[in-house]
Amino acid sequence: MKINFWYISSFLISLLVIIPILTVFSSFFEQTTNYFDILKETFLFEYTYNSLALLISVLTLTFLIGTITAYLVSFYDFPLSNFFKWALILSFAVPPYIYAYSLTAFFENYGTAYTILKNLFGEANYNQHIPKFDGMLGSILSISISLFGYVYILTRASFLYQSQSLIDLGKNLGFTNFQSFYKVILPAARPAIVAGLSLVAMETLAEFGAVDFFSINTLTTGIYNSWIAFDDLAFANRLSFFLLLFIFALFILENLSRNKAKYHFNSRGGFKHKDKIKLTKKKSFLAFIFCFFIFFISFLFPLSQMLYWTIKFPENLFDLNILNLLLNTLYLVIISSIVLITFSLISNYGNRVLKNKFLNILSTLSISGYAIPGVILAVAFITFISWLDESMIKTLGLTSIKKIFIGSILGLVLVYFVRFYSLAFNGIKSGYEKINIYVDESAYLLGYSKKKTFLNIHVPILRNSLLFVGVLVALEIIRELPIALILRPFNFETFATTAYISASEDLLEAAAVPSLFLILIASFFIITASKYILRENNE
Amino acid sequence: MSNNFFEVRNVDFVVGGKTKVRNVSFSIKNEGDVICLLGPSGIGKTTILRTIAGLQRIKHGSIKLNGKIISSENLNVEPEHRNISLAFQENSLFPHYTVKKNILLGFEKNKLKKRKEINLQEILDLLDLSKILNQYPHQISAGEAQRASLARALLTQPDLLLLDEPLSNVDQSFKEEIQIRLKRILKTLKISTIIVTHDSYEAFYLGSKCGIILDQELRQFDDPYKVYHFPNSVEVVNFLNRGVLIPAEVTSPKSLENKDLGTITGNFVKPFPIGSNVQLLIQPEDLHHDDQSNLKLEIVDRKFRGTSFIYTLKTTTNKFIPVFVHSHHIHQHEISEKFGIKRPIHIDHIVCF
Repeated sequence: MKINFWYISSFLISLLVIIPILTVFSSFFEQTTNYFDILKETFLFEYTYNSLALLISVLTLTFLIGTITAYLVSFYDFPLSNFFKWALILSFAVPPYIYAYSLTAFFENYGTAYTILKNLFGEANYNQHIPKFDGMLGSILSISISLFGYVYILTRASFLYQSQSLIDLGKNLGFTNFQSFYKVILPAARPAIVAGLSLVAMETLAEFGAVDFFSINTLTTGIYNSWIAFDDLAFANRLSFFLLLFIFALFILENLSRNKAKYHFNSRGGFKHKDKIKLTKKKSFLAFIFCFFIFFISFLFPLSQMLYWTIKFPENLFDLNILNLLLNTLYLVIISSIVLITFSLISNYGNRVLKNKFLNILSTLSISGYAIPGVILAVAFITFISWLDESMIKTLGLTSIKKIFIGSILGLVLVYFVRFYSLAFNGIKSGYEKINIYVDESAYLLGYSKKKTFLNIHVPILRNSLLFVGVLVALEIIRELPIALILRPFNFETFATTAYISASEDLLEAAAVPSLFLILIASFFIITASKYILRENNE
Repeated sequence: MSNNFFEVRNVDFVVGGKTKVRNVSFSIKNEGDVICLLGPSGIGKTTILRTIAGLQRIKHGSIKLNGKIISSENLNVEPEHRNISLAFQENSLFPHYTVKKNILLGFEKNKLKKRKEINLQEILDLLDLSKILNQYPHQISAGEAQRASLARALLTQPDLLLLDEPLSNVDQSFKEEIQIRLKRILKTLKISTIIVTHDSYEAFYLGSKCGIILDQELRQFDDPYKVYHFPNSVEVVNFLNRGVLIPAEVTSPKSLENKDLGTITGNFVKPFPIGSNVQLLIQPEDLHHDDQSNLKLEIVDRKFRGTSFIYTLKTTTNKFIPVFVHSHHIHQHEISEKFGIKRPIHIDHIVCF
């Protein structure tokens, strides 16, 4: 095997991503403080129970919302159906923790709902009639409404790729629309639905902001608390290991379902245009109401709640240095996106030209980073840096390097790199898969070197994929919370961290301003990338 | 020391660790010669081209171009450093460039090498590309993409041009015209070329030599006329599918005896001892129609090929013999009728196995 620039760089990039994952596994066998014994007898059961209850409820809700909306907009023609097609993905702009703030703000005693009722009907004791969405119920709703988009996008894509003949066959067999959906369309889309649900499951188990806000103790909050409150890194790692086992089981499930998806999607056939069924007036109204309701509660409701508070308490707007928060957020987004795209592009190209089995295995392992919750990665990163720091001081007598990595932009970007590497790598990989290998070979035969082929041929062809990946990464980083909370430099705040800090101090009104800006920026990115996300024009 | 312009010597062509074609040796004697490699799909023809282009390595043997080794067990000159062009069967145009820009990339490489002047417009006209120059690869047909790739490869003026099924996607009606133009361009530019195809007529027309690849081996490498008329093995006969082998007994140095056809005279390509039982090759043009003949066989099939009919006749030993008859021939016969064969039967060159 020829060792060259592409080999070494692909190897190093994959290795960098794998280190934190290996750290978590190795830490499992280390000793913890006696906090572990206390927890084993008291909280561990609660952590696991809550995590599982949350998981099952969220999966059920996202399945129902995601598949029904995808089915309606894919197969039926009703008022604004084309608008809902992309408007429903705006739910991604609202992270679960901001949704949790909105729910609380609206339904709490003397909250927005109370104000509306008071303005409409005058003073009365409405509080006892207004339902309360907090605790476990609040967490389930916040996470489900924020994450159903994964199921919606993948299921809808699968519906688009289903062959018309399969659907016609159902009609030919005399099936009603519901029977066709239940017996033909839904089973054919099963792998896509499972893939969407797996993503939801991983995000749910990793969710920190919303469950922390509602004081629900899960494995993820347990990890954060054992590190923050008890300063017990080893125990945090041990909890991480348990959570990782959960995640890996889901990861395997997701991979298996993706393999099957290849069988179900006719990738050669591409997007099939299907004539949508025009609904009767009553059914059309019901479809419209359902989609509008989901769009309203997933996007308009949190947006208007945050907007309302921003207007109601304008002083919060002036208390915050919005420009500074915007610049910090964009700074992180830009640096991280550039690093992620550059390195993912290099390792993808390395894998493509070298066709080396070892590198392939390494890159497969390295993309599992996305399955690992941000909290675990941040803790694993600190563990690794502490170990490295200690070893370097002991063996080489060097000064501490901790400050370079912990509480610095560099550390933050590095962990974002590990966390979102698979997103960038896979996004670019799917772009690369559309480039015929003969294109590379033609370039070589025209006298192009590997570098020139990479820069002059691949990069321009991949321009759209890179833009798409950039937007996805940006969206994730804007919404990301635990890594930023743990690793950000002193006095370095983003919209997400500012919103979290205000909310955790029970200053929900103050959390509204950064939340509103976060939603608006995320919406901008979603709208920019919607045609790629919806997979209609890039196939 | 050979003076061949291009030479493949004892090369095993390997892809993914699996040997596709073993111990291959052939050469292009003079610069500007065109050779064709024929063989069934998946036999390894493309692997041979890719290896010559430097896209695959070899573990055994050597490949020489212009007297210099470009591939051997220890050496593999990178594709970008061999002046060899390969026009792929699949669309290999750069999707982000127009057809014009794609083609001009070949022209630019040629300019860098400061080779002889080449008329771009002439190439575009010859391959009928002028109308699609401003389109992108995804907007044109597979046949047009193939012609554009061909133009790009030609414009680089390579030392060696490799064409992988160059006309497989070109419309049948246009194919013959393109073959004529291609032959003319190659001759004018004096570009040595190796063409891979599964179409024997294309190979016979374009190549000054033809190689037949079967069962992991280069079974025959010869002039097209010789490959057709003097196939060197039963496998080559079966692959070309232009004749049938029937049992016969050698009765003299210039004759054989077959149970159905009787005595057949002619010149043996390879001598056989008198009395030996052989398989005699009968090609469609070897037998002649004669309604007056008393040698009659039943017609089981009739193919109309425009200029000719090919009748398939069934012998008493259940062999099916093809017979070529000019289509203007007035005595047309239907299936199940009897077909007379002119006697005595004389075949100019007798091929037996």
